[in-house]
Amino acid sequence: MSPSILVTGLGSVGSYGSGADSLRKALASSTVHTSEIDRSAGYHLPESSRRACLVAYRDLAAWVPALEARRMSPPSKLALAAARMALGCAGLEGAPAEESTAVIVATSFGPSSYSEGLLKQILFEGPESTSPSLFTESVANAPAAQIAIALRARGPSPTLCQREAGPLLAAGRGAAEIVAGRAPRALAGAVEEMTPLLHALLDRFGALARPEPDGGEAARPFDRCRSGFLAGEGATILILEEEGRARERAARPLARVLAWGSAFDPSAPATGWGTGHEGLARALRRTLSRAGLEPGAVDLIVSGASGSRAGDRLEALTLRAAWGAAPLPPVVAPKAVTGEYGGGVLGPAVLAASGARFGPTPGFREPDPELGLVAHDGSPYPAPSVVLATSLAVGGAAAWLVLGKP
Amino acid sequence: MSRRVVVTGMGAVSGFGWGVGPLWEGLRAGRTGIGSFRRFDHSLHRTHVAAEAGDPPPDLARRFPGWRRLSLADRFALFAAAEALEQAGLEPPFDEGDVTAGVCFGSSTGGMLEGERFFAAFFPRRGRRARLSALISHPVNAPGDAVARHLRATGPVQTLSSACASGALALGAALDAVRSGEVDVAVAGGSDSLCQLTYAGFNALRSVDEVPSRPFRSGRAGMSFGEGAAVLVLEPLERALARGATPRAELVGAGASCDAHHMTAPEPGGSGAAAALEAALRDAGLPPGAVDFVNAHATGTPLNDAAEWRALQRVFGERAGEIPLVATKALLGHLLGSSGAIEAVVTILCLQRGELHPAPRCEQGEGVDPELPVSLVLDRPLPCPEARVAVSTSLAFGGSNAALVFSRWGGPIA
Repeated sequence: MSPSILVTGLGSVGSYGSGADSLRKALASSTVHTSEIDRSAGYHLPESSRRACLVAYRDLAAWVPALEARRMSPPSKLALAAARMALGCAGLEGAPAEESTAVIVATSFGPSSYSEGLLKQILFEGPESTSPSLFTESVANAPAAQIAIALRARGPSPTLCQREAGPLLAAGRGAAEIVAGRAPRALAGAVEEMTPLLHALLDRFGALARPEPDGGEAARPFDRCRSGFLAGEGATILILEEEGRARERAARPLARVLAWGSAFDPSAPATGWGTGHEGLARALRRTLSRAGLEPGAVDLIVSGASGSRAGDRLEALTLRAAWGAAPLPPVVAPKAVTGEYGGGVLGPAVLAASGARFGPTPGFREPDPELGLVAHDGSPYPAPSVVLATSLAVGGAAAWLVLGKP
Repeated sequence: MSRRVVVTGMGAVSGFGWGVGPLWEGLRAGRTGIGSFRRFDHSLHRTHVAAEAGDPPPDLARRFPGWRRLSLADRFALFAAAEALEQAGLEPPFDEGDVTAGVCFGSSTGGMLEGERFFAAFFPRRGRRARLSALISHPVNAPGDAVARHLRATGPVQTLSSACASGALALGAALDAVRSGEVDVAVAGGSDSLCQLTYAGFNALRSVDEVPSRPFRSGRAGMSFGEGAAVLVLEPLERALARGATPRAELVGAGASCDAHHMTAPEPGGSGAAAALEAALRDAGLPPGAVDFVNAHATGTPLNDAAEWRALQRVFGERAGEIPLVATKALLGHLLGSSGAIEAVVTILCLQRGELHPAPRCEQGEGVDPELPVSLVLDRPLPCPEARVAVSTSLAFGGSNAALVFSRWGGPIA
């Protein structure tokens, strides 16, 4: 009998603000906070996307004081802030770290601004001008390491880089570490930094939502006129604990981890999504079956759909193939609020399982007849007992997390 | 009861060439593969040696569709995966039939080498005349994904990027996936190519030796870089035997830990590295006394080797100075995200062949550091026909540690 795993804490930072409550409010009110990306470096094409869901870094000082933050890359600051928020949410703030606490962090692009700075030094100022501190914080696992150092967490600390699938893989890995008895507790989640350079490159690849006639840009998941995603940044960290230990310390859990799973669609090109929805649907059903569930038992789907034409299509076809002739439960697409960063599906999924409500999907105006899926319109729905979080990644990876009421 | 997991195939690309054959020949000869290199212009860098993979076999562009658009790290990975699968007697595609195959890969920099060339053109001209296709293989997950695409894998695919522990962590993840029954076949390993970013970065930290690295020697002054890939095919023992495959070794345990001490410096007492090693032995159900040799992380940096020695002392006690210690990086350089994977391959080769490859005697003539009195295998191969259990350790930036425990399958190969 595997131990039961609970989510006892959630920390989240994004354009919506800091803390789980900020995220909860943004999701309930369908409020999208975007800012103009700095295009002064000239990396962007004239007709490029201009907006992104950016973090107000000055607000992080309450969790990562300036003295501590001065040697950290932006993702390290974001991740450590989210980790401390999560510990506070779990009632563990200031508690001594369990010796073998695990830290699992997913990131797609790592500390992009530090990598960019480092490259410019090497390429244009000469290798001998390379800054050791920039290099140290340019590695993908810097955020996980900074969390571990700050919290004295000495368990496994892997960093996962599997694009959009990474955050759910990280959550599953965190649960697996506890189930295997390798860690009594795990901090698991995702972090991403959005820089002008990365924004410009994503735009050149055609990934971002296009500017609209009124000057706005919106993600529009599952909409007929979706044109790409809103680039986002932020961090989301969960505290995962074995149920017995959590109950012992009178923790107030947010959600129960019922199952996790992942798969790969080999038809996907390196820079896009594939067409293998039938295979992904089979893997999704296998994931649910690990919790003894059929698709019909899922009350709410927290989708990783982001407004991408091909990605949302694959997501919709996968869900429809998994459900067959049965109707889909409500499908929410929180990346329309958070922008595209890994935590954009993980945090909302935990909040959904804890009873949070979702407003209408921002940007969704007209169903896409090819998808046969209507994004949540804000109508009331029964409090979910089972929540399915999905995330299909560029390049072919896919991951799912099944959460239940605590 | 979890399933026993065996290695049924191995592939490698290294400074000794493309393939496991050249790898073993080079190691056994005890001649370092570290020397001058041409991968990029290093005239303005502080140091000038690395172990560069030579030219690939001529027919690879025909064997692998889209070969010319792939990064070097992708190419290393694909070649090593194909070699490993061939040895395992497995033929992709895996999306037909009832075999669920997954891929667990480690990488530190993915397609950074090609990214550097792109950005060298992109930055000065604000994107004009820079070919965006050069970035297709830039992400760190690109080598693992390229392998998964080539295999037409449908199972879990994940890339771990915990610096120098990535490859070993990937093997640990693959062990979990096979044990749990999540996959029938796991293709696991790592790939990294030389690139300026890491070369300049470690030089900025003054962690790179100007001559080929000299792990555990008195005058050691840092690491040397290498490049390449290694891939291992993992399967449940029962499945492997049922289909007539020959196990090369059994992967009996994996462990991981974090120093939680410093971004670049190891915990000097070696407690973090020891915790990973102890976790791996616990996972294997073996006492420290069962270990016959250690393939150490052995970078050659003064701090890392010292911390590793103390970790060995913590785990093996008085035996720490007696257990034969293999220092693969003295010959191949440090393959960063794939170092744990290629050292796993080397560990298995040593178990299979019943002998341990030597580290070369360095030109400076220094012996083993008396402060770190390990039993470093030096000069010539050390016969070990009775060796049955070996551990391989990986200690990374950010204090991420990983250890793997392998057990010999059958007797040594004559």
